[in-house]
Amino acid sequence: MKSTLTVCLIKLLIISQMQAFSQNDSLKMRELDELVITATRTEKMVSVLPMPVTVISQKQMQQMGSLRLNEVLQEQTGLAIVTNHGQGLQVQGFNPEYTLILIDGEPLIGRTAGTLELSRIAVGNIKQIEIVKGPSSSLYGSEALAGVVNIITENPTANRAAFSARYGSNRTLDLTSNLQWKKERTSASLFLNRYSTAGYDFSPETFGQTIEPFHNYTLQGKAEHRFSDVWRLSLSARYFTENQDRNFETGTAQLSNPASGKGRIQDMNVNPVLNFKASGKFCGRVSLYHSKYRTDASSRYLSNGSLFDESFFNQTFLRPETQLIWLFSPKHNTTFGSGMVQESVEATRYTQRQQSHTVYAFAQHEWLPAEKWHIITGGRFDSHSVYGSQFSPKISAQYQLTPKIALRASGGVGFKAPDFRQLYLNFINNAAGYSVFGTEEVVRLIQELQVQGQIGEVLFNPDAAGSLRAERSLSWNFGGKWKPTERTLFNVNFFRNDIQDLIESQVFARRTNGQNIFSYRNLSRVFTQGVEIDGTHQLSDKISLSAGYQLLLTGDKSAIERINNGEIFRRDPVTLITTRLSRSDYGGLFGRSRHMANAKIFYENKAKGWTANLRAIYRGSYGLGDRNGNLVLDDPSEYVNGFVTLNAAASKTFFGGKLRLQVGADNLLNFTDPTAIPNMPGCLLWTSLHFQIR
Amino acid sequence: MKNFAVLLASAVLLLPALTSCKDDNVSPVQTVVTETVRDLAADPVRIDPATGRPLGGTNRFTLYSLRENRIVANSDSATNKWDIGFRGTMLIVNGGAIRSGQGGAYISTGLFDELKEIPATAEFRTDQSPTSLAIPNASGQGWYNYNTQTHLITPIPGRVIVLRTGDGKFAKMEILSYYRGAPATPTQTSEARYYTFRFSFQPDGSRRF
Repeated sequence: MKSTLTVCLIKLLIISQMQAFSQNDSLKMRELDELVITATRTEKMVSVLPMPVTVISQKQMQQMGSLRLNEVLQEQTGLAIVTNHGQGLQVQGFNPEYTLILIDGEPLIGRTAGTLELSRIAVGNIKQIEIVKGPSSSLYGSEALAGVVNIITENPTANRAAFSARYGSNRTLDLTSNLQWKKERTSASLFLNRYSTAGYDFSPETFGQTIEPFHNYTLQGKAEHRFSDVWRLSLSARYFTENQDRNFETGTAQLSNPASGKGRIQDMNVNPVLNFKASGKFCGRVSLYHSKYRTDASSRYLSNGSLFDESFFNQTFLRPETQLIWLFSPKHNTTFGSGMVQESVEATRYTQRQQSHTVYAFAQHEWLPAEKWHIITGGRFDSHSVYGSQFSPKISAQYQLTPKIALRASGGVGFKAPDFRQLYLNFINNAAGYSVFGTEEVVRLIQELQVQGQIGEVLFNPDAAGSLRAERSLSWNFGGKWKPTERTLFNVNFFRNDIQDLIESQVFARRTNGQNIFSYRNLSRVFTQGVEIDGTHQLSDKISLSAGYQLLLTGDKSAIERINNGEIFRRDPVTLITTRLSRSDYGGLFGRSRHMANAKIFYENKAKGWTANLRAIYRGSYGLGDRNGNLVLDDPSEYVNGFVTLNAAASKTFFGGKLRLQVGADNLLNFTDPTAIPNMPGCLLWTSLHFQIR
Repeated sequence: MKNFAVLLASAVLLLPALTSCKDDNVSPVQTVVTETVRDLAADPVRIDPATGRPLGGTNRFTLYSLRENRIVANSDSATNKWDIGFRGTMLIVNGGAIRSGQGGAYISTGLFDELKEIPATAEFRTDQSPTSLAIPNASGQGWYNYNTQTHLITPIPGRVIVLRTGDGKFAKMEILSYYRGAPATPTQTSEARYYTFRFSFQPDGSRRF
């Protein structure tokens, strides 16, 4: 898909325009400027884009020795990995459900409580990762409020076979094979990966490990044939499966009652794409993307073998889409697109198979009014079968102030559709004593319970709640870049996001036995704002340095109003004295670090085949959860301490680059916080061998 | 001029009333004291690990008299001798369709010490049925928040339970802890259903503290 639009003239136009500013572009700087597709759905050089874009190259991932997507993303400026039912991505202070994750431009599905588990994605065949920050719903629709991460996989450029094996702490073994074949008009590739780990345990005194052993397989294939200069057909497919042990305690410390079982995750997608270039002025594509995600889990009591729990979750996603680019003058071009999404979910916690569909159309106009200006405007209209319709406009512009300084600004609207869980969940937790019903089910289910005489009190009339609306954001990004020398580049970006209609659960009714019935409503308004600064400097031919920092401030607007009205209090846990909260006590939203930073040094001696690097990542203190009963972040005991992780890797090639030996250490300082961050193991040492034939 | 005379006459007539009012004000402030009750057992139980259901409880409320500052026997439940009852997170008052006393309650947002007088407009709720109580027994709606991650009950800071007692007097109370010994950082192993609270009881029937 990356090369889908390569043929378009617009690229040449932009490159020539860019070169006008930097005539004597050195090789070094050209390396800093990559072609990206995610920001505009057409290939553009990063340097001309009027919105903040980060590109992570294959070379960088190789030198870091990264295996999974979470490892790569956690080292990037302004990104944090947060844990809630899996490891998800926090961008500009947004929770993981507000960032769209794409593989070759197509969305990955299968989120648990909004989190898409990033470790599901192997990075062994990734050409580059493109991260667009800021609202991107104008092109991508739902979920793209905070931004988009697009994983661009390799396209075969020559016949090549590569194999690698890596072994490390916690008996973690990764085996990868990457085969590529190319003949004049036809190419194909096959990527195979097996990853397994024995996990680890922070609390050996209890039954079950902190991270249970698991193994997974990734199989990804691509094939492409160029019929003529006009037509090109490609087919890509991916399959992922993971099996994990489940061992956990259902009893208490006094009376143990362990249960044990298996969990399985399967994730597959297929995407045939037909590309065409009708003339010098038109090009486009038609695709039919299909994806499935399925989980199965069951566990039994070890004492008597009876079933403790059995569940499944089955999601499907089908999306036909067309896109057309019309280049009607050197200064104007327009991208049009339209499509349809058909989604379904069937699961233990749903009454029946539920379906929804979205029809959408988008347009984007790119205008180069003068040599120094680059303006992009666009919008997308989504019409959904359940929650209604949504229009998401966006405008962005870049102005080249001097050859060394460019300024950019963008503003746009993002949205996230209510998900299946919020619409259709029918879940009764007897052990903890509550029920959660989706908004499309709650009226019927409460009526049924009323007929049965099980409802004690209706606290909120579900008829009055109405249908859920999409969660919406209005976002602004202002910044620029400064290239003081050919070897140095600074980027700065100020951002402000105002999000409204955030969907939260609320008690709707109470059963006669006192158990609460929850459903969802559009309730909260929050904001996130801050600044991100990033710099890279090529110290010499062999050494490059980079550093980044993000300041992030967040808050719940109604909580701030209540604090200003003197309606939120806190109780000292020792003296039990209650005091009124002041604005300065309020720490904003949970899980957001006010300060995050990183510093990296990369060394590469091409002649001798050596690479080495050292990366320090700082994640500042953040709120973990309420402890003093007022539900907001205010007390020092509610924070997790900030921490530094230090990662290092070194490699040496042999036999003219055919063989590469690499060693590394992640989390060299052996930082752990078992209670707050259980998914963070201590220091991990590893070594790998990479072999390739061309 | 005529208006002025009327005003002056009213002022003179009202003067004794105002001063007597002031006297009333002073004396109760001296007599109303704030008491703290620690670790009042509210039908403590242990949880059956197999079913998640409570075991060993009596299912009875611990009835309390604020005037006497002591527990009232359950045999007196049909009298107006008690003011508030505790069982698990459920609080009952001695007033309403299912009670015999004149009690009632409502939850006020603010600091305990700042509540100097119960407004005349205050609406006291009563216990109408076991599921419709004066003090709602639900997370965030009454006196506590339940944390679904830690499974802990935390009294919401800044919530004052304003009470009309079984015999129609007024009181205010603030719940401080739900765990035995009021630990600074309760955990899931802390012994639940032990109330620590403080209250002020106004014996003279006025609404001032």
